[in-house]
Formats: sequence, structure tokens, C-alpha cells
Amino acid sequence: MKMLCNTGDVPAGESRRIELPGRPPLAVFNLDGSFYVTDDTCTHGDASLCDGEIDTDDGVVECPYHQGAFEIATGRPAGAPCTVALRVYPVEIRGEAVYAAVEEVETACP
Amino acid sequence: MPLITVNDGEAAFVCEPGDTLLRAGLRSGVGLPYECGVGACGCCRGEVGTGEVIDHWPAAPGLSDRDRRKGRILACQCSPVGDVQLRLRLDPAAVPAIPPRRRTATLVAVNDVTHDIREFVFRSEEAAAFLPGQFAFLSLPGVERERAYSMANLANDRGEWRFYIRRVPGGDATGRLFDTLKPGAEVGLDAPYGQAYLRAESPRDIVCIAGGSGLAPMLSVTRGYAARTARDGRRLDFFYGARTPADVCGQAELAMLPGYGEDLGFQVAVSDAEAAQAAGWTGRTSLVHELVEATLGDRLGQCEFYLAGPPGMIEALLQLLQTKHRIPPERIHFDRFF
Repeated sequence: MKMLCNTGDVPAGESRRIELPGRPPLAVFNLDGSFYVTDDTCTHGDASLCDGEIDTDDGVVECPYHQGAFEIATGRPAGAPCTVALRVYPVEIRGEAVYAAVEEVETACP
Repeated sequence: MPLITVNDGEAAFVCEPGDTLLRAGLRSGVGLPYECGVGACGCCRGEVGTGEVIDHWPAAPGLSDRDRRKGRILACQCSPVGDVQLRLRLDPAAVPAIPPRRRTATLVAVNDVTHDIREFVFRSEEAAAFLPGQFAFLSLPGVERERAYSMANLANDRGEWRFYIRRVPGGDATGRLFDTLKPGAEVGLDAPYGQAYLRAESPRDIVCIAGGSGLAPMLSVTRGYAARTARDGRRLDFFYGARTPADVCGQAELAMLPGYGEDLGFQVAVSDAEAAQAAGWTGRTSLVHELVEATLGDRLGQCEFYLAGPPGMIEALLQLLQTKHRIPPERIHFDRFF
């Protein structure tokens, strides 16, 4: 597990991009107090999902580029043109810190 | 004619009667993002501020229910009724190198390629201008909607447009093309379109992967690569995925290109093991993405990819290239027609 940020760094309904050396950037999402960690780069093109719009009701993030969408919790594509799933990582909150299992074998969702 | 204004004046263009917002914008050199132009990819989403449009396909798969709830439209499926204010994220990379134009073309020849793919050759009065890998919309007499088909040849001054088209059982357009249309017949041809064109400036080795009539744009890309003036140390590997041995094609065309068997490789996989056995097929029997992975090995991560084929093949390739091998989408070129 790697510490990514503090819970207070990501207000509810928002996201934060985390850059770690030697790997693609990550996105930390806060959906009403639940934290999720995914890859930050859209699987359709070179755009940062942290610049996109979060739809809290649907639990979806929309890419700012072509408005393709992903389910934040599962990484499943939720709107054209995205069809390749986003990688999601197991998250643990320890005290006020957000940890994610980014070094573990990454599994793609169906 | 209706005037379309994008993002309060970031761009403006007029829309000819019968044109969609997308095509009218592209004709004027405006960078409206798109891949398919037929309502599937969803890249040309936008919102109508003021004005009215006719939506030719409200149920288009390129829009999700959430998009509809938010009042979004697809520029490729909407025509303006009068002046329209459009909100849509423009993309400098989508400014067409060759703005598309409508023209009339005459069918001049039809050639068999396989049992269900034929080459249709059309001629237009002015030059055929397009980039390797692009497509055209054909409007056929007696067929209601236009169809998108990729060119297999290269741009030329003779006005020659070559398409490889697979017969769709029960299909209106391919039924017309295969059974009714004779040399001399005139069609409407609107071109060029598409983003999966050859990036001639890329220094990487090229991999073209085709299935079905996806042969056409991949042949065009390969011909574009082969037409470069000097051998530059790059190579191109062409993979064709066929269902049965009777569906195998492409070798005859590629074998005519310079460098074939040297820095231009061609390999085929047949996916239907039963049909392969029945036909005495001695070549590779697997899905084409498995052949690609087995052939390229460690080189896979360094290449530039061009794909054209049925949705199942494209999805399997994206899983291989993007999910498994983490190749960035900027190096995988295909138009999402689904």
C-alpha cells in the first residue's frame, strides 16, 4: 500500500491527481465520504479525468475531452467513446491518510 | 443558409441544406472532434444553446441516457432548422487536413476479392484527395441512408476511389452494390473522413491489423508506408484475421509492394478451427490478437498500431494492447464504428 494524500485534500464530490514516479498518474475520488483510486488518464485519449466532471448521483466521472465516462467505483466504461475499462486500485483509509494498493497486480474489470 | 456559431464565436460556419452540423463544420475547416460520423463513437457530442435542430437518430448509441438527460446531441446526427448556437469542445487535432467535399462518382469496375468481399472502383471528375486509411460516405440510388466505406488505394489525380466491401446478408446497401449497380452507375461520394490515417512522420515500426473488409483501410495505410521515398529502417507488419480459410485475403495486394517479405511482413490467422481443418488449412489457427502477441513479443510495446475490423476483434486487440501492454491510446489508431 502507498500513501497518496490526506482525506482532507479531496473534498466530497471532487478529485485529485497524484503523480508517483515511474507510473502513470492516479486519480483519488471522494464520493460522499467514500474514497476511490483509479488511473487518471482516460483510456480513450490523453486527457486527465481529474479535469473532468464528477456526477456524484451516478458515481461517474466524465472525461473533459470527449465526454466519455467511467464508473468511479469499478472503472467500467459508462459512455461512448470509452470501451476500455479504467484500472481501479484497492483503497484503505488509515487515520486521515488515503492509501492504495497501486503496486499490486492490477486487474482489469470485465 | 443556416449559420452555426460555436462557443459564442470561437468558430462559425454555414450549413448547406441536407448537411449535418458535423459535416458542414468539417467542410469549413472547423475542428469538430469525431471518429465515425455515424452516431456510434459519441465524440461529436455538444449542446444546442439557441436555435433548433432536427435529430436524424435520437436513439444513436453514441449518446448515453445521462447525455440525453443533459440535453446533449450528436453533431453528426443533427441538421439545423435555422441559425444555431452550439456548445462543443473544439479540437485543433480534428481540423481536417483535407476538408471533405460532396461529388458525383461513376462505378467503373467490380472485382471479386473473396466469396463475399468485392472491390468496387469509382471514378470522379476531380482528383481523389484523402489520407491513407480514411473513409467516404457513399449515397447509393434507392438506398435511404449513406454508408461509410474506407478507401483501399492512395490519393491520385485520376479521381479513382477503390473500396473493398463485404456483402451484408439482407443488407440494403450491399445488396444494391452487389446485385443491382452496374458499371456506369452514378453515386454520391462525400469524402474524406476519419482519424485513423497514416501518421507518416512517426519514426516507429508500424503494425496493421485487419479483419473482414477492414482490409481496405489497412491496405491504404500499408500502401502509404510503402510509397515513402527511402527505406528508413522502419518495418511494417500486416496481420489479417479471417474466420475461415475462404475468408483469407490481402496477400496478393501486399506482395506487389516494394519490400514485401523483407521490411513488409504479412501473416494470417484463421479463427474457426473446424473450418480450418475441413479445408486442410496448414497455417495458423487462432484469433488474430494471439498471433500479433506471439509474433511481436517484446517489440509490441514500441510499435504504432492501426486497426480495422469487426467490433469483437477491435475489443480483443484493445484489451491486449492497452490493458495488458499499456500502450497509450495515442499510438493505437482506429475509427470506432460501434
